[in-house]
Amino acid sequence: MKSKKCVAMLLAGGQGSRLGVLTSKIAKPAVPYGGKYRIIDFPLSNCTNSGIDTVGILTQYKPLELNDYIGSGKPWDLDRSNGGVHILPPYQGQEGGDWYKGTANAIYQNLEFIERYNPEYVLILSGDHIYKMDYSKMLNQHIEDNAACTIAVLEVSFEEATRFGIMNTTEDGTIYEFEEKPANPKSNLASMGIYIFNWDKLKKYLIDDEANPDSSNDFGKNIIPMMLNAGEKLKVYRFSDYWKDVGTVESLWDANLDLLNPKIDLNLSDKNWRIYSRNTAMPPQYISEKAKVENSLVTDGCEIYGNLDYSVLFENVTIEEGATVEYSLIMPGAVIKKGANVRYSIIAENAVIDEDAQIGGDPAVVGTEGWGITVVGANLTVGKKAKVSANKMIVKNVDEGEEI
Amino acid sequence: MRTSAVSGIIFANSNDNLLKKLTAIRSMASVPFGSRYRLIDFSLSNLVNAGVYNVGIITKENYHSLMDHVGSGLFWDLDRKNGGLHLLPPYISSGLKRYSGTIDALYGAKDFIKRCKSDYIVLCAGDILANVDISDVIDCHIKKGADVTTVYHKGILPPNRDDAMIFDLEDDGRIASIKFNCDIGTEAYYGIGITVISRDLLSNLVYEAYHDDLPSFNRNVLAVKLKELKIYGYEHSEFVSLMNGTDTYYKANMALLNSEVRKQLFNKERPIYTKTRDDMPTRYGTKSSVSNSIIGSGCVIEGTVINSIIFRGVKVEKGAVIKDCILMQETCVGANSELSNVIADKNSIIGKNKSLSGTEQKQIFISKNQIV
Repeated sequence: MKSKKCVAMLLAGGQGSRLGVLTSKIAKPAVPYGGKYRIIDFPLSNCTNSGIDTVGILTQYKPLELNDYIGSGKPWDLDRSNGGVHILPPYQGQEGGDWYKGTANAIYQNLEFIERYNPEYVLILSGDHIYKMDYSKMLNQHIEDNAACTIAVLEVSFEEATRFGIMNTTEDGTIYEFEEKPANPKSNLASMGIYIFNWDKLKKYLIDDEANPDSSNDFGKNIIPMMLNAGEKLKVYRFSDYWKDVGTVESLWDANLDLLNPKIDLNLSDKNWRIYSRNTAMPPQYISEKAKVENSLVTDGCEIYGNLDYSVLFENVTIEEGATVEYSLIMPGAVIKKGANVRYSIIAENAVIDEDAQIGGDPAVVGTEGWGITVVGANLTVGKKAKVSANKMIVKNVDEGEEI
Repeated sequence: MRTSAVSGIIFANSNDNLLKKLTAIRSMASVPFGSRYRLIDFSLSNLVNAGVYNVGIITKENYHSLMDHVGSGLFWDLDRKNGGLHLLPPYISSGLKRYSGTIDALYGAKDFIKRCKSDYIVLCAGDILANVDISDVIDCHIKKGADVTTVYHKGILPPNRDDAMIFDLEDDGRIASIKFNCDIGTEAYYGIGITVISRDLLSNLVYEAYHDDLPSFNRNVLAVKLKELKIYGYEHSEFVSLMNGTDTYYKANMALLNSEVRKQLFNKERPIYTKTRDDMPTRYGTKSSVSNSIIGSGCVIEGTVINSIIFRGVKVEKGAVIKDCILMQETCVGANSELSNVIADKNSIIGKNKSLSGTEQKQIFISKNQIV
């Protein structure tokens, strides 16, 4: 096997439990985003655009749809004879096997995979974020700094800092302390969950960490503190472009609507940094005479007869006559029937909102107290004239006329 | 049926002369259609949807854009080890002349026909706009013990289609007579350019006709051998359009605004595949207004679009009004420009505050890369 300078390991096994019904059947990285993408398109496209052509994808939770989606890696130009994408599920060896116990353990269990490419550097990524980033710049800084590990960070407000892993650094960006969700943050540099390690160092610490039965085998909790204690040189790499963690229903909704905000720089078809995805064979979209479409993203296969404002429509969605969709995400194959009203909601794949049903609530009308995005799970039906108020997570069919 | 039992042949340059403006820079088969397709997508998809994974495309000239479009055949699942996609350009040893008719073209493809080892060959014209269940055509061909089965549509044949056959049918579907060149203007059974034939018979007929210097497979072989051969018709009653000029091209595109036509062409069981692009979904702006239009992906629509066919990557700026137009890939229409009955080919740019209006009978044509 030809050696590689840098191999990427993409942690894609997380359940994303805060997304509730949206991840009941699929892993978080497979969650649809932006009309035609899935979250995992971002790290994969970033890799291919950054010249990283060898990517191990660590899967564990509900991998079927994710595996199908990744396939041979062709959409991201990662179907390579030498390198390319490799799906790495937990496996059994002669002495048995184990689920991935933590992020570090997942990499540890795949030492052999990384060794085949004998890389100098390993890039650790996660499948939870929407961002465009040139990893080769980060790698160059890592090499120039002669660091053992470089962690990408984003400046957040000090309020927000309490929700992130925070890097406390000296002036030159050397990390002296890592604090997970500090109550009184000393710095506002939040970890983006993107690490570059020198492979020889990482390997050593992974083996040491595995030998410690009390460790939770996690990069943030264990590996980074261990390296700091040992006096290794850890640096931050500052990133200042768009980056969003889509771990919650609200943030997923937000990140989608950000695509409609002209003030936010998130052009996904930028020829210099395209986000690739698996495209399907859908006919073009049709907007009827009766339709009213404004401020929205609409994907192939959609047929729109109703009203649409501030929304993202995924493939093959039908909005019937007299239906209204506002501030919502309508995922592939969903149908919004005549007279239905969908506001501030996420309607998952192939769900059907029957005639005159009302989903979600406008915070300006229902008040911000207890307000939230309403989610209707995949393949569910909300019956005629049913009412589902704001901040509800619908996990089973709603009957005709039912009020929730 | 084993996968290699049927092969397909598509004539990429059929009737190029009928769409002169659009085929000045490309073959008929690669003429853009319906917001995201090229005409050949329909024949390629019809074939693969019938399990035909060995397809030869006979090209004559202007096939650069066609090659660019079909590539390795990936998007139609035709990048295969067994079979797959074969471009069959003219080659010198076939007599230094470019194909002058279907017999020449098929003779030039004789190695493909010989090597494919299939039992049957499906011949497809490159300008057929229809979603045809070819596997059913093949089943009927076998069931009836036919020598040749050709697909027809009952309707009014567009004029100037010298090559198209008009049939009289017997009760069992056998073709009793074949006529050409009749602009009859009334309803008739006309061939839409899809023909199933056994490989051996095709080879023999082509070999014979080539040595007799006959030009056309339909006119000089099928029509002449009507008594000797059992030639059956297969009816395709759903939407069909054959190109015969800019006017039918325009109408065929506009037909997509009819939901029944869309249902017939974009049958969910038999999808039409095309080369996909990595565009964002189409974005509609704050003041956009769109009515009765088909829109491809990757567009940015900030103006008004009415009764139009908009291809991928088109930009319509604020205040612009597009009515009854076909705007092909990457067309940009500047702010406050008004276009009606315009066909704009790829990459054309219409500046700000321009006004262009054609008529329903005669559209204004803007050629590829043109700046207005």
